Amino acid sequence: MTARSNAATVWILVALAVALIYAPPVYLIAISLNPALQPGLPSLGDLSLKWYVALAGEGGLTRALRESLLVATITALAAVALALLAALAYLELRRGRTIWFLAMLLPLFVPGVIQGLALSVIFTRAGITPSALTVAAAHLLWAMPFAFIVILTSMTGLRPSWLMAAADLGANWWQRTRDITLPVLTPGLLSALIFAFLLSLNEFGRAFYLVGRQNTLPIELFGRMNSGADPTIYAISGAIFFVSLLCVGAIFLSARKRT
Amino acid sequence: MKTILSLMSLPVIAVLVLGAAPLCVVVVWSFWTWDPSTYWIRPELSLAGYAAIGEAGRWTVLLGTLFKAVLAASFCVVLAFPLAYAIRFLAGRRLALVLMALITIPFFTSYLIRAFSWRLVLGRTGPVNEALQSLGLIAEPLDWLLFSDFAIMVGFIASYLPFAAFPLILAMQRVEPSLLKAAQDLGAGFWRIVGSIVIPLTLSGSFAGFLFVFVMVIGSQTEVQMLGGAGAPIVSIMINDVMRVANFPLAFAISSVVLICVFGVLLAGNRIFGLARLFEGMSK
Repeated sequence: MTARSNAATVWILVALAVALIYAPPVYLIAISLNPALQPGLPSLGDLSLKWYVALAGEGGLTRALRESLLVATITALAAVALALLAALAYLELRRGRTIWFLAMLLPLFVPGVIQGLALSVIFTRAGITPSALTVAAAHLLWAMPFAFIVILTSMTGLRPSWLMAAADLGANWWQRTRDITLPVLTPGLLSALIFAFLLSLNEFGRAFYLVGRQNTLPIELFGRMNSGADPTIYAISGAIFFVSLLCVGAIFLSARKRT
Repeated sequence: MKTILSLMSLPVIAVLVLGAAPLCVVVVWSFWTWDPSTYWIRPELSLAGYAAIGEAGRWTVLLGTLFKAVLAASFCVVLAFPLAYAIRFLAGRRLALVLMALITIPFFTSYLIRAFSWRLVLGRTGPVNEALQSLGLIAEPLDWLLFSDFAIMVGFIASYLPFAAFPLILAMQRVEPSLLKAAQDLGAGFWRIVGSIVIPLTLSGSFAGFLFVFVMVIGSQTEVQMLGGAGAPIVSIMINDVMRVANFPLAFAISSVVLICVFGVLLAGNRIFGLARLFEGMSK
């Protein structure tokens, strides 16, 4: 085999991997633009936003979306605040950094159903009524590790020598953090906020046991997907997927500009 | 030192109160006795929950889940490896960045929507069946494409491939291209280089990727709920079913077994392969 055909083999596998991840959602977005009632690829001539317009009349979906946006906002703010504290602690730590890192990452690996079930049982026993806050509590542990990683990654721009120089010149911890660390971290904090928001917006398993009277969007969607999907489901799914895509893409582009 | 502790306190409290404590309580409660009069448990030692795992074929569900997790994790690593290799050694700066973005995006999109879109693709009138039919490869639509173990496996791979790719990409960044050049100069072919240099040097990444997918599949539910056939068994769904009849001790017992599996595997992996070291380069 020549070097070229070896590279081609690798690229074919790469294409396969990317197609596995992206082909179905892209197909979903395509059929959401089909004005016909039956799912299928639309012809280019009659692409239509009909089902997206119809979303406005879907009271159940709109209410669920509003609930999800509320939960996601609470989750994002809390997750980033906690992750920032954790990252600042990481910066101060000398030994034990690895353990701290792993401790913050561990919640990621708790299966969502079990986490949700455990929290809901505790909340019920403690007499806490399910609400947006209880859902946000479960989402927090899912979003915080990601926010932590994003903030840590943005710390690569921080030179230890800057902090040392500032300390030599008599700046205390708070002054160093306010005037050096935080300005360097700001873009990372913004990305972390968006990431945490998206994670919460799209999370399904953890919320399952914790929602109160008002469903979050993924739970509402799940119900409708299983009771004979109508085209508005494709539209809302397409819209959510597209917005997520756009947000993460934008973060990547802005990160590239900085470097 | 004081600063460190006060910085650490709030995140630690969040992880303990919302994460660790409820899980510990669940493990403790899994040993308590079901009390039908209050529809709750009472603090008397009982192994009834664990005994019930042995009934109604629940063990097979547990083992089946482990098997599916191993299979999905293996496929993911096999696909993630060329991806990480291409990003490090074949792609230019621009393309590498695009691929990195493509691998990052799925973390932040809906697993539910992605699994649901597979349902559309694999259905009887979906594009896969139609393409196979118009090519004349099959006469009738394939029924086993959807609501089957095949569909579940495809869904798992598509959902969790990024979890395998990420550690492999990190591990691959540490392999010096000059090493490959040197091997080439000495006459080693492509497969020889991959087999005796790249794979051994990125083994910890492969293993971390395998573990992450393994753990995610054990805790997964959307893929099975969207793509599996009637009563497709996986532990998350089993827990949901048990909870529908409010059998708390059994639900807690199953949860405990799963938690022990997941964290046992993670800790052992960290011990043997030094998973934590993989992330060191990232957070310097």
